[in-house]
Amino acid sequence: MSQEKLDVLQGTLDLLILRTLQWGPQHGHGIGQAIRAKSDELLQVEHGSLYPALHRLRREGLIESEWGVSDNNQRAKFYRLTQAGKKKLVAEESKWKLFVKAVAKVLRTQE
Amino acid sequence: MWGGLRWWFTRNREERDLDEEIRSHLAIEARERAWQGEPPESAKAAAQRAFGNVTRIREETRESWGWAEAERFLEDVRYGLRILRKAPAWTFVVGATLALGIGLSTAIFSVVYGVALKALPYPEPDRLMALWNGAPLGAYQRFNVNAPNWLNWRQRSRSFEDIALARLIANFNLTGDGVPERLQGARTSWNLPRVLRVQPLMGRVFTEAEQNSDAKVAVLSYWLWQRRFGGDSMILGRKILLNGEIFEVIGVMPKEYQYPTAQFELWTPLFVPPRELNEVGLNYQYVAIGRLAHGVSLAQAQAEMSNIARQYADEHPQTNWLPRGGFVDVAVEPLLLSNTLQLRTTMWVLLSAVGCLLLTGCLNLGTLLIARAGARAREMSVRAALGASSGRLRRQMLAEVIPLSAIGGAGGILLAWGLLKIFQPLLPDQMPRVESVGLSAPVMAFAMGISMLVMALAAILPSRIAARSDLAAALQHNSRSVAGGSRARAVLVVAQVAITIVLLIDGALFARSLAAVLRVNPGFSTQGILTMHLAVTRARHPQDSQVSDFYDRILERIRRVPGVVSAGIVNRLALSGIDQTFAVTFEGKPDLGAFDIDSRSSTPGYFQAAGIPIKQGRDFTAHDGAESLPVGIIDEQLARRVFGGEDPIGKRFRIPIPDQPWVQIIGVVGHILNQTLEKDVRPQVYWPESQRTQDRAALVIRASGPPELLASAVVAQIRSVDPDQPVYDVRTMNEWMSRTLSTRNLMTWLVGFFGGASVVLACMGLYGVVSYATGLRMREFGIRLALGATVGHVRTLVLGHAGKLVLGGCLAGIAIAFFSSKAIGSLLYGVSSWDGIAIGSATGLLITIALVASAGPARRATRTDPVAALRLE
Repeated sequence: MSQEKLDVLQGTLDLLILRTLQWGPQHGHGIGQAIRAKSDELLQVEHGSLYPALHRLRREGLIESEWGVSDNNQRAKFYRLTQAGKKKLVAEESKWKLFVKAVAKVLRTQE
Repeated sequence: MWGGLRWWFTRNREERDLDEEIRSHLAIEARERAWQGEPPESAKAAAQRAFGNVTRIREETRESWGWAEAERFLEDVRYGLRILRKAPAWTFVVGATLALGIGLSTAIFSVVYGVALKALPYPEPDRLMALWNGAPLGAYQRFNVNAPNWLNWRQRSRSFEDIALARLIANFNLTGDGVPERLQGARTSWNLPRVLRVQPLMGRVFTEAEQNSDAKVAVLSYWLWQRRFGGDSMILGRKILLNGEIFEVIGVMPKEYQYPTAQFELWTPLFVPPRELNEVGLNYQYVAIGRLAHGVSLAQAQAEMSNIARQYADEHPQTNWLPRGGFVDVAVEPLLLSNTLQLRTTMWVLLSAVGCLLLTGCLNLGTLLIARAGARAREMSVRAALGASSGRLRRQMLAEVIPLSAIGGAGGILLAWGLLKIFQPLLPDQMPRVESVGLSAPVMAFAMGISMLVMALAAILPSRIAARSDLAAALQHNSRSVAGGSRARAVLVVAQVAITIVLLIDGALFARSLAAVLRVNPGFSTQGILTMHLAVTRARHPQDSQVSDFYDRILERIRRVPGVVSAGIVNRLALSGIDQTFAVTFEGKPDLGAFDIDSRSSTPGYFQAAGIPIKQGRDFTAHDGAESLPVGIIDEQLARRVFGGEDPIGKRFRIPIPDQPWVQIIGVVGHILNQTLEKDVRPQVYWPESQRTQDRAALVIRASGPPELLASAVVAQIRSVDPDQPVYDVRTMNEWMSRTLSTRNLMTWLVGFFGGASVVLACMGLYGVVSYATGLRMREFGIRLALGATVGHVRTLVLGHAGKLVLGGCLAGIAIAFFSSKAIGSLLYGVSSWDGIAIGSATGLLITIALVASAGPARRATRTDPVAALRLE
């Protein structure tokens, strides 16, 4: 396990949140955990950016929230993808892949 | 309101929601940590630590809700308030300037609004029109309507739903139960309430049949019903005595029915004698108002009425085709406009004058704000350097200005309220609808709109300057960095001076006009004379001879009152505002044609009492009775125009209508100004009361002492002849005169006052700029003094700076005044609109005051201690 931890790039956090929510509704804590776990602990989501991002996405209508009970019987606010969110995710994902490919190409020619 | 509440609730809910969300996050984290084996206490603390700064996260999340802007703005406002509290003197000056400007303009606007802009209190008031006869090519622009006109218009026009006719000059002596009282009422056609679309509050209005049969029925105004009859619910059917005749009250109108003005309290049927209906070209004594049919425009109605008038003139060429060409046309104009025709220009002048004052106040505010922006340039620059955007800084300036504008607006409304309380009773009584002047909703909206506008204007400039100021220079605290601000201030001061000069010049023109009017000799004396009016109750004195006998008996008794020198009666006083005219022709002078004259009936002794000199021949005497030879007196102007050097005594004239007798001239009297002091309209002809009797009498009583002291003794004498005779409008001749001057007086004083206030503001601005600039140049002055410059030289430098600003403003102002005084030309009298004295005195006054204002900074400059000044930086 690498000791190095990466801060999530601005702009990519939205994509990560949407992607995480694709597996089903999740609360804020869970989303943070999931991102960390799926990235093999590489990506560290700051709570200071997670919650503003969640609220912003909700405001934009990409996700919606509902109070519910977590696995360990804790009352928590769950976020879920909306129809618009799903569309947005598809678009962002392909954009991201394109971006990665482009950056990779540039880096390769540099070598 | 609802939006605000909802905002508040949503906001609170989301706030609680967020708190709970964060709490639940921490709980989940703590539980997970506890699960991994951490002790619960430290797990909780660790969760807290891992989460980070809760407040900051909450803050940042909140920002994503989009309310941050509004909150930041409120914060700025709070900050602004704090700054205002720290500089109470500055705040007071700015607040007072604002309150003065807003208060005065609101007060003036409320008058203009109540009198001229507010819709008439009838349904669809825009469709109500006044109809006049008009002969643009003849001597009369606009004159009253006669009964045949009315019949003709009603019959032929399609543009009007209906046209009503009214005779507005009607005196009603109300007697029986209570003090005898003279009421103003109108005789109207039966359809007037229909044209105005007002239903009676109680009872009914009179019918066409009642009008044509001269039925003795009366409709009361709401206020008369309340005032005189105590709101008696059994008033309908009650008999009242009007002019000695029994009238039945058939209806009470609602409050808003105030035709033609709120002073009218009674309406009776307008009975037109059948003979008069056929007298084309005579008895122009009515007013007509019509309601436009649906979808008809004013222009369409005017076109149709002109056609009708043309056609009518062709049918009656003798009366309606004018000798000088053209025919008697019909003028259609909106009723509201028609009511305020004479006051319109005056009101525009007052509005513009107060607007100018407001503008000077606004500019002054601008200079004050720039000065403060200069003082705060360093603070602003620090903030800009730390990353505040210029838009952000501008927003902050605006936010600071909002409390100021609230103070100014509130103060202004308070001031306007006070001014109206004091001045409303002093408004000229020629103003229609004075009673509707007040701080109504549109007036309040005006005041608030103005205060916001003023502040926005005043705030834009300094914030622009602040945003532009050079960061580095300001941070080094180099005082010259705000030189841009001082240039802007100079421009504002020049503009202030220019506007002030315009106000002063126009004020001087009005003052000179007023002085000229006051110097006018009206042709009769105004001092030592008491006047009062009575309208004879015809039912008690049905015969003309009885009326003139009644007058004689009254006069005889009045002349015996101690202190009365002489007394006489004329049917209307000079300057009464009501014309009574005839055409007369002179025997043996057919080529001179007809003369348009003021007709007056007088008793023996009138000329002596009124101070009108008898130039030739004699006054009427008791021997000139109804049965004796018809006699008349003409004025000297007419005598000169008709007879030249010939002796007019013994010559004859007549009204050129069949059955009118020839009248022998027995005297020539001095000419008087009968309509206004400002315009000599017509010569006068007098008939003896005994031969041309009039029901309305104006008593003119010359006193040896103060005339007002005689009033009660004279009224007592009248009552001793007839205890039921009401007397009204008791005034000295002097008061009567000043009443006719009240509008001009008001205008002159107000414009003068606005000019004065503007001078104060402009000088404040000037003082600020000069003393600021002097402060910047202190070191320079110190060096100059150290190098041997005289005190006088330094003083000249400062005064020269002030002088340049003032002179620039004066020149610009005089250029503007060239146009503004042209615009007020119609209100001037005896002075040309480009008057050297007015311009010179206004400019001189302003320059003098301006130099006095800058004397302080100049003295300070000369007292500079060179050493101290050099050490300053």
